[in-house]
Amino acid sequence: MTESVIGVARARVDAPDKVTGATRFAADGHVHGLLHARLVLSPEAHALIQRVERNAALAMPGVVAVLTADDLPLTGAGSDRTTEPLARTEVVFAGQPVALVVAENEAAAEDAVEAVVVQYEPLPAVVDVEDAMLPGRALARVVEEEAGGGDMESIHAGVDNGQEDGDEEQLSDNVLDTVHRSSGDATALLETSDVVVSGTFRTPWVYQAYIEPQVATAWLEPNETLVVSTSTQGSFVTQRELARAFGLPLERIRVVAEPLGGAFGGKLALMEPLAAGAALALRRPVRVVLTRAEDFQATNPASAQVTHLKLGARKDGTLTALTARMIVDRGSNAGWGVEGITTLLVAGPYRWKAHDIRGYGVQTNRFTFGAYRGPGAPTAAFALETLLDELAAELEVDPLELRLQNAVVEADVGVSGNPFPRMGAVEVLERIREHPLWKTRASLPADEGVGVAAGYWPGGTEPAAAVCRVNQDGTMTVVTSAVDMSGVNTGFAAIAAETFGLSPDQIRVVAADTATGPYSGASAGSKVTYTVGAAVLKAAEAAREKLLKAASEELEIAPADLEVVDGAVRAVGSPDHSITVAEISAKALRFGGRYEPIEGHGGSAQTRGAPSVAAHLAHVRVDQETGEVTLLAHVIAQDVGRALNPALVEGQMRGGVAQGIGWALFEELVHDESGQLLTSSFLDYAIPLADRVPDIDTLIVEVPAPDGPFGAKGIGEAPVIAAAPAIANAVAAAVGIRLRELPMTAPRVWAALEDAQA
Amino acid sequence: MPSSRTVGLVVNGESRSLDVEPRTLLVHALRDGLGLTGAHIGCDTSQCGACTVLVDGRAVKSCTMLAVQAEDVEVTTIEGFAPDGVQHPIQRAFVEQHGLQCGFCTPGMILTASDLLSREPDPDDATIRRALKGNFCRCTGYQSIVDSVRTAAAALREGDAA
Ligand code: FES
Ligand code: FES
Repeated sequence: MTESVIGVARARVDAPDKVTGATRFAADGHVHGLLHARLVLSPEAHALIQRVERNAALAMPGVVAVLTADDLPLTGAGSDRTTEPLARTEVVFAGQPVALVVAENEAAAEDAVEAVVVQYEPLPAVVDVEDAMLPGRALARVVEEEAGGGDMESIHAGVDNGQEDGDEEQLSDNVLDTVHRSSGDATALLETSDVVVSGTFRTPWVYQAYIEPQVATAWLEPNETLVVSTSTQGSFVTQRELARAFGLPLERIRVVAEPLGGAFGGKLALMEPLAAGAALALRRPVRVVLTRAEDFQATNPASAQVTHLKLGARKDGTLTALTARMIVDRGSNAGWGVEGITTLLVAGPYRWKAHDIRGYGVQTNRFTFGAYRGPGAPTAAFALETLLDELAAELEVDPLELRLQNAVVEADVGVSGNPFPRMGAVEVLERIREHPLWKTRASLPADEGVGVAAGYWPGGTEPAAAVCRVNQDGTMTVVTSAVDMSGVNTGFAAIAAETFGLSPDQIRVVAADTATGPYSGASAGSKVTYTVGAAVLKAAEAAREKLLKAASEELEIAPADLEVVDGAVRAVGSPDHSITVAEISAKALRFGGRYEPIEGHGGSAQTRGAPSVAAHLAHVRVDQETGEVTLLAHVIAQDVGRALNPALVEGQMRGGVAQGIGWALFEELVHDESGQLLTSSFLDYAIPLADRVPDIDTLIVEVPAPDGPFGAKGIGEAPVIAAAPAIANAVAAAVGIRLRELPMTAPRVWAALEDAQA
Repeated sequence: MPSSRTVGLVVNGESRSLDVEPRTLLVHALRDGLGLTGAHIGCDTSQCGACTVLVDGRAVKSCTMLAVQAEDVEVTTIEGFAPDGVQHPIQRAFVEQHGLQCGFCTPGMILTASDLLSREPDPDDATIRRALKGNFCRCTGYQSIVDSVRTAAAALREGDAA
């Protein structure tokens, strides 16, 4: 056999094009006769639209149209961002798109935006999520709309919402959804626990900050097919959403997912309804590219959240019970929220004897909530992992040992009510326990400390299909419709190479569009390698069967006695008896050829997820004069199932940690009390830069996923989850203060230090 | 419409003339006028560095310069960085050291690195990180980019031909 290509670091298949500028992103393609659209955004957080005055704008040179919701051929019921891409009668957040100015060039569209005058009748803005829940409070949406039919929640997480129950609290209609998970008598168990800790934790709205702003281009083909070329995480889901918005049959919509300039959960069917609506209305190609300021205001960041949490333990360190009340700010998103997933993940990868967890999805006049890497998870982990550290301090035990003692193992029943599949919670904690940073933490200089935390992501599933096709020259093309967000195509090449018997250099991976590709769900929820990768494996097996059948006839040797090595089929034990893949393919792919094309189709439909868990160590220094926290080093150990390509796995781990550093120290979207966004540029919203992210030590732990290709599982979300609490716990270890709010900016830390001294 | 005028630019070693408005930014002239879409637009506050090009060998954010200001300089974009189709050692290092994920920041990173390495052939990691401060990356956590630049520096010092 040749050497395995699984587990070997290789360059990304898309790297050569990306380093030379050859990659065409969604804003780069040339389209004949293209019009450019610019958004008119609402300056009001909550108001009724009285009138849109467009004549002045229409009179400006180059302006083709000023479109409002009524001008778009929308047919879908509901007031979500798909069915109401422009506000109809009521604006529900500052920054909501109200009109589209369409012009011959971007500059003309931009100039004309200023000339569109919208008259509003302001309504009270609901910006305090806890207050908004109380009975009798003003509502964040006053015009009744029929519910829409989107399926965005299942795309990201797909968890159930626990049980329904009768003990209804008195709540305002701003509460769109409640979740209750309980088992045992958690309150009674806390009363009899030896140690109990509690706290209220606040996390802000956080922006995905993909470096490529949102963009979509749409046009009508002469046969009336609507083509949408876009920066999206999922082509089929976008196609479905557009069909829902415009009442078109699926076959009339073709969605082409272009190379993605970052998304992290935030790019799903936000821009496409705008571009498509304008193209349908004007019957000309239209591109919508957001400026960064628009992207900050008008897109869909991660929810702010308030978490009230209480935990208990026995003297021997056994965790007893937890109770939680988790309030999720959905902004204007009536379709889904993270209350389902965050109430699951607040229990962490630990065993509890009883729990009582309530979640609330609440509408306000702040943004439209959207998914961001591990939606609902970092917020839950911040609360839980902070309190676990406090529990360890009260018990006077090592915080890492406390976690290890209570870490779930296979078949432990989680708060979902279902048993955990095999997941390396113990293994990742054991790995970081051995790290020098942990072992030497007692001998650090003053004002330095090391913190620990852990978190897991359940992992998504969705049926998927793939095709492996051998070309005339003996190379292989792998076709899927998966959007390559994290390097999945490079993984597919390795899977196909290993399974079929070619070298990865002989394999090209092609992303097809909705008109041509096999089905694939959105790249979200850490599932693409797990699901589409499994389909690629089966497709490569099917192609290999065809290959062996043909080779068997050529060599007159039974298929079972053949092997594929380095691009040739040969007799086992007698390698001189061989024929190359190219020779066989050439015999098949020609007029009068004798063999079926060497192609295979494969599908997957896993019924259980493959959770990934990560443990972190953070090493910080706190400047007691200024409150500034400097992250000096960070370690992450993650169970990745099987690292198909360790270099790419490490890239995901580091990228996730870097975003966790943003949660911990920098990132916060801020509104004033009237609902105006105060942070709509990178001047006001800081993301981690090269000089603020330390080297991140990555420890790959492999606990194979039974249903994953070669044991691989989805790994994108897990690394972000517990990075922030590890940093928070490091701050506590360094200077003895515990913050209940993220991010831990210098002023907040300084204030906490002052309080601690008073 | 504001009156447009013709500017002569030298881009990637070729003389090009282009009709632009006086207010047209270099990045728009490159992308829309010349089809050089490797200069990406990531912000409107001249912070992200996705639009970085070389102007007389120095890294410049092409959204900070007007097209008409580029008349007497030589502009190099990522498309012209390795003109003969062979990867420049910096590009090669980004491929081999996994210095990219989505790739949106990559052209800017590479050209900023080129400027740095032309001035400092053997930078330490802290110097590299400082030099890349004006180039945002949301995907990688930067470490693989720093590795790429360090590797490229070594290759260039060893006289690896550009
Ligand atoms: S686009 Fe030029 S710095 Fe961001
Ligand atoms: S690789 Fe995506 S922004 Fe840097």
